[in-house]
Amino acid sequence: MATYLEFIQQNEERDGVRFSWNVWPSSRLEATRMVVPLACLLTPLKERPDLPPVQYEPVLCSRPTCKAVLNPLCQVDYRAKLWACNFCFQRNQFPPAYTGISEVNQPAELMPQFSTIEYVVQRGPQTPLIFLYVVDTCLEEDDLQALKESLQMSLSLLPPDALVGLITFGRMVQVHELSCEGISKSYVFRGTKDLTAKQIQDMLGLTKSAMPMQQPRPAQAQEHSFISSRFLQPIHKIDMTLTDLLGELQRDPWPVTQGKRPLRSTGVALSIAVGLLEGTFPNTGARIMLFTGGPPTQGPGMVVGDELKVPIRSWHDIEKDNARFMKKATKHYEILANRTAANGHCIDIYACALDQTGLLEMKCCTNLTGGHMVMGDSFNTSLFKQTFQRIFSKDFNGDFRMAFGATLEVKTSRELKIAGVIGPCVSLNVKGPCVSENELGVAGTSQWKICGLDPTTTLGIYFEVVNQHNAPIPQGGRGAIQFVTQYQHSSTQRRIRVTTIARNWADAQSQLRHIEAAFDQEAAAVLMARLGVFRAESEEGPDVLRWLDRQLIRLCQKFGQYNKEDPSSFRLSDSFSLYPQFMFHLRRSPFLQVFNNSPDESSYYRHHFARQDLTQSLIMIQPILYSYSFQGPPEPVLLDSSSILADRILLMDTFFQIVIYLGETIAQWRKAGYQDMPEYENFKHLLQAPLDDAQEILQARFPMPRYINTEHGGSQARFLLSKVNPSQTHNNLFAWGQETGAPILTDDVSLQVFMDHLKKLAVSSAC
Amino acid sequence: MTCCLAGRAEVEMAELYVKPGNKERGWNDPPQFSYGLQTQTGGPKRTPLTKRVAAPQDGSPRVPTSELSPGHPPVGPPPPSKAPGPPPVESCPSSCVVPTSSPVIEPEALLEDVLRPLEQALKDCHGHTRKQLCDDISRRLVLLREQWAGGKLSVPVKKRMALLVQELSSRQWDAADDIHRSLMVDHVTEVSQWMVGVKRLIAEKRSLSSEEAAKEEKSAAATENETMSGLQQAP
Repeated sequence: MATYLEFIQQNEERDGVRFSWNVWPSSRLEATRMVVPLACLLTPLKERPDLPPVQYEPVLCSRPTCKAVLNPLCQVDYRAKLWACNFCFQRNQFPPAYTGISEVNQPAELMPQFSTIEYVVQRGPQTPLIFLYVVDTCLEEDDLQALKESLQMSLSLLPPDALVGLITFGRMVQVHELSCEGISKSYVFRGTKDLTAKQIQDMLGLTKSAMPMQQPRPAQAQEHSFISSRFLQPIHKIDMTLTDLLGELQRDPWPVTQGKRPLRSTGVALSIAVGLLEGTFPNTGARIMLFTGGPPTQGPGMVVGDELKVPIRSWHDIEKDNARFMKKATKHYEILANRTAANGHCIDIYACALDQTGLLEMKCCTNLTGGHMVMGDSFNTSLFKQTFQRIFSKDFNGDFRMAFGATLEVKTSRELKIAGVIGPCVSLNVKGPCVSENELGVAGTSQWKICGLDPTTTLGIYFEVVNQHNAPIPQGGRGAIQFVTQYQHSSTQRRIRVTTIARNWADAQSQLRHIEAAFDQEAAAVLMARLGVFRAESEEGPDVLRWLDRQLIRLCQKFGQYNKEDPSSFRLSDSFSLYPQFMFHLRRSPFLQVFNNSPDESSYYRHHFARQDLTQSLIMIQPILYSYSFQGPPEPVLLDSSSILADRILLMDTFFQIVIYLGETIAQWRKAGYQDMPEYENFKHLLQAPLDDAQEILQARFPMPRYINTEHGGSQARFLLSKVNPSQTHNNLFAWGQETGAPILTDDVSLQVFMDHLKKLAVSSAC
Repeated sequence: MTCCLAGRAEVEMAELYVKPGNKERGWNDPPQFSYGLQTQTGGPKRTPLTKRVAAPQDGSPRVPTSELSPGHPPVGPPPPSKAPGPPPVESCPSSCVVPTSSPVIEPEALLEDVLRPLEQALKDCHGHTRKQLCDDISRRLVLLREQWAGGKLSVPVKKRMALLVQELSSRQWDAADDIHRSLMVDHVTEVSQWMVGVKRLIAEKRSLSSEEAAKEEKSAAATENETMSGLQQAP
């Protein structure tokens, strides 16, 4: 291993794990003094083309309270056929199938390169994947047509064995019976009255008593398939019926008078969808896909009334406690989300409208179940269409990039406890010896449920060191953590992915430099940001910022090199050098600032921030800026107003937006048409290069970002100007000789001022 | 056969395109990638643009270098291509293939060339496939015929349908199915009404052919058994 950077990268590629600290402080007291908690970002199903799953099941530790999986860190006695669990030190007999093992004939799970391994579980029934479409019909004609076509298209992309169902809603909610006989029938529900799961199942005839012919037990399986067959059918059987049904969908027929919003029963429609799956397919992989073009306006879960003159709640209304429906609606969706998660299903929301649609109230549906949240202006946009297509994208094996019904279990060595998880999951409330009393995120458990996930879904997992101060460094010198993810693969197989990692302990007093050098500032920034965003959901914005600032100052006090009371002497080592600027940009980001964003937008941005992997999360915190010029290949430049130069083209990636910005001179050259003259072909290439690079990003990103092509002086240049560090503003530009770069009209604090204050506070003995 | 290959290569080229997003309905709508581009695997990927520069520790930016002083609009042109100096920027990658209008000599796919094999395939499925299903498929083929004859289908759709039929006839089920998917993704407005019939026909023809293959195998095995028993009886 050459450097920590390489070590970190290798570990991420192999195990899908990035730790804030890669050498661990050996006592509780020292760990708390490190400020940034010991934590990791885990991508449980990270794509591993080089890791074919093994076709057998894991060997478990026999101690009932442990049940850790046999792994490369276990001590093995090949002669006696025994292995010692590295978590609880229990000695275990190998199962009979392992009698042939020896030092030279090891099973894969004992080899160091298999610190991450995937098992295929052969037992149990294989149930098809289920997709239940819940479609709003209160849309404009153009939008409804585009949505119908996208849904028809999706029937060609779904796995052919998958079961599909259709619920449509407007003022009423219709559950469509799907049959191949060409006669379509639907059950109509009022959109104003909430129904219990039992009532829904009774009304749809899903309960046994409602069955026409009740049969004794042995027929149950048959009965089950009969029930489901009415509303959820294999796609290959009813694709023609469903194509026609979708094609014939009409806009909601109820008249909408002037000055009114259409009556939209989203709350009841979702409730019926959840109840339908709950009654027919509990604990099987299923997606409820809600497509909506406006806010719920009646019944349980309504977020705004139908009077257009009363606008939907804003941040201002919420602060003034003037959002009439918010609490009740949120409660309604939270109950639904929790039921859905308990059933192992997930809910996606595709909301396309120019105004808000109630994502703030509905966000728990996606956030607790691992569903997707997509926000667009219209269903008739490439942003929606392609994002939707990408739900059904496939991996290198031709398998769908989606997994269902996962449980994540975390096991730790004795010196560690689990403080909690932040990500698209719910707690399974499994207490145990390794669960900490200090709670961070979704806590108080060692197991979580992630109902929907894909190869990029990433969780932040927080730990606590519990070894006592002055106690010796734990035996063996290393601490270990095991992540066990059981899930339903898109091929419907049950699989178990096991990742076991270990890191060295170090005495923080004598070996602080080791700990410092193994700090992963990128992981730390994302993990701290997740904590901040998690707090921002329940606390006041300024409190969260103050908390983040305090943590940053303490970190600089601990790891900076300086003479007391002398800010100019302050230095940070390489492994910390980027951290302050990450925090600077995080403070300005839409994850913590709600100014200029609607509550729905904030919910949308935070939704994505809480599930993306490290690289994408870091782009969200501090956007990437590349500069293109005649002086050589494109180069990364500071996200700073000084980088905005007349003879450059800039490409900025904020994750949600891709911005191409032509500097003043470049824009004038383009206007003059130099790119069309053969002797200026290199100018044409220069213009083309950022377009090609942007295309590459657009092709891979989920969800599709907005794409902004602008130039110096263009109104859309604001997307760039609002993100760069305002090192030059209208306030400080009077100094002579500071003509380069672009001044930003802002009173925001610049990174320079931020750093000055940070240094002052860090070196001050008053803090 | 060579003609067929050339045809496929051409369609593959045509399948790799990017068209602008719907700026009227969505602000800053991103461009739309064709099915071919979306599902393109491998290919020379450039290094991802994920690098950052660390700000100097005092937070102040470096002195920027610009060979032109801004604020003064440039009088001169950009540096000409032939001028000695910086190497040209990377060349255009494969993904920026522009949709080319069909070559002049390219004969348009003929309605009968596409419809007749489909109808024949459907006929083959009679007996194997339920009557109602056959009727459903047949209805959609009629719709396809009407739309084609009525001039409602675009050239790329017709061309890709011709290819689909070729794949179907040569029993390349997966390839045929993939073309069907590409048509649904790239041209859903044109094809959604009848394409599901073609999709179903591919599936039925595939299951029929595997059934036939199984039958053949069985009868082959049976003849083998007979000879075996014959041999046993011989001595």
